[in-house]
Amino acid sequence: MEESSRERRRLLKRLALFGLGGLLLWKYLVPTDSGKAKKELLRINKADLPHQGALVFRESRVAIVRAGEDLYALSLVCSHLGCTVNVTSKELVCPCHGSVFNRQGEALKGPAVEPLERLELQEQGMSVVILA
Amino acid sequence: MKNDGPVKEFIRHLFPRVVLRRNLKIRYTFCLGGLAFTSFLVLLLTGTLLLFHYQPSVDQAFQSILYLESSVPGGWYIRNLHRMASNAFLVLIFLHTLRVILTGAYRKPRELNWVIGFAILCLSLFEGYTGYLLPMDQLALWATQTGMKLLTTVPGGDLLKSFMVPDDIGQPMSLVRFYILHIALIPLTILFLSFLHFYRIRKDKGALPYL
Repeated sequence: MEESSRERRRLLKRLALFGLGGLLLWKYLVPTDSGKAKKELLRINKADLPHQGALVFRESRVAIVRAGEDLYALSLVCSHLGCTVNVTSKELVCPCHGSVFNRQGEALKGPAVEPLERLELQEQGMSVVILA
Repeated sequence: MKNDGPVKEFIRHLFPRVVLRRNLKIRYTFCLGGLAFTSFLVLLLTGTLLLFHYQPSVDQAFQSILYLESSVPGGWYIRNLHRMASNAFLVLIFLHTLRVILTGAYRKPRELNWVIGFAILCLSLFEGYTGYLLPMDQLALWATQTGMKLLTTVPGGDLLKSFMVPDDIGQPMSLVRFYILHIALIPLTILFLSFLHFYRIRKDKGALPYL
């Protein structure tokens, strides 16, 4: 009786260790972001882009910003806890906890410390495509 | 005696039946050879894991390293473990050689094992060198460049260089050759020579007839 319960305990311990090891190995071999092609988030005409300032797509939670020669796409997902930030005339403000970002996406005021994510932007013929 | 199954039975037969107590003292060998072989096993394990993500092409090599570091869970850990274990392997193997020299363990009847051990030492250095190029970053490129310059200064070095680098350092053919040397030819040779090395320890009983 004593011996069999000890053996069962040993077996269970081994099974648990193997399971844990197998899980870690699986996570290493099959990462969730396994370099798959990014999905098209948004496609707009080049002609619709403003010459200066930002074009905001609240639904897709992305803003296309043009600053001089620079054209980039900022994710509007707050880097703190993921609320959608509001775009004001000068900066981007998160309504949830008051984080403030500048037009480049850098955090000016906490609680967010990380900048807003820049999404990949591709020019394809007459249109601009944002990938995420 | 209780039958423990083939694995435990095999491990038991790897070790001598009787050992003198005073020879089990850590100061006797500091277990440097064993530690070096352990780090070699770590290298085999982590290297195998790295193979699942590394892409040996000029365009993709560095990208796959970045991907491994940023997106694969535990990828940075496995890669750093591989790098540190390689440093440990070389340090331990050098200390082991030093110990063998200082205790005169290369003398009769162990001359052959000394030669085998020296071959393993040289191969290990070569293995480390071939692994240097694989990430294809700046360090890889220039370190390999320097190594190849050094190689051409020894007799026959040009011949070896033309075999290892048929095109140019960091070009497709040289990368593939470094890769195949690093992941297959050299490690398998080291493994084979190590087993020969361990076999010779038991065979060259000499001063320790009980082995």
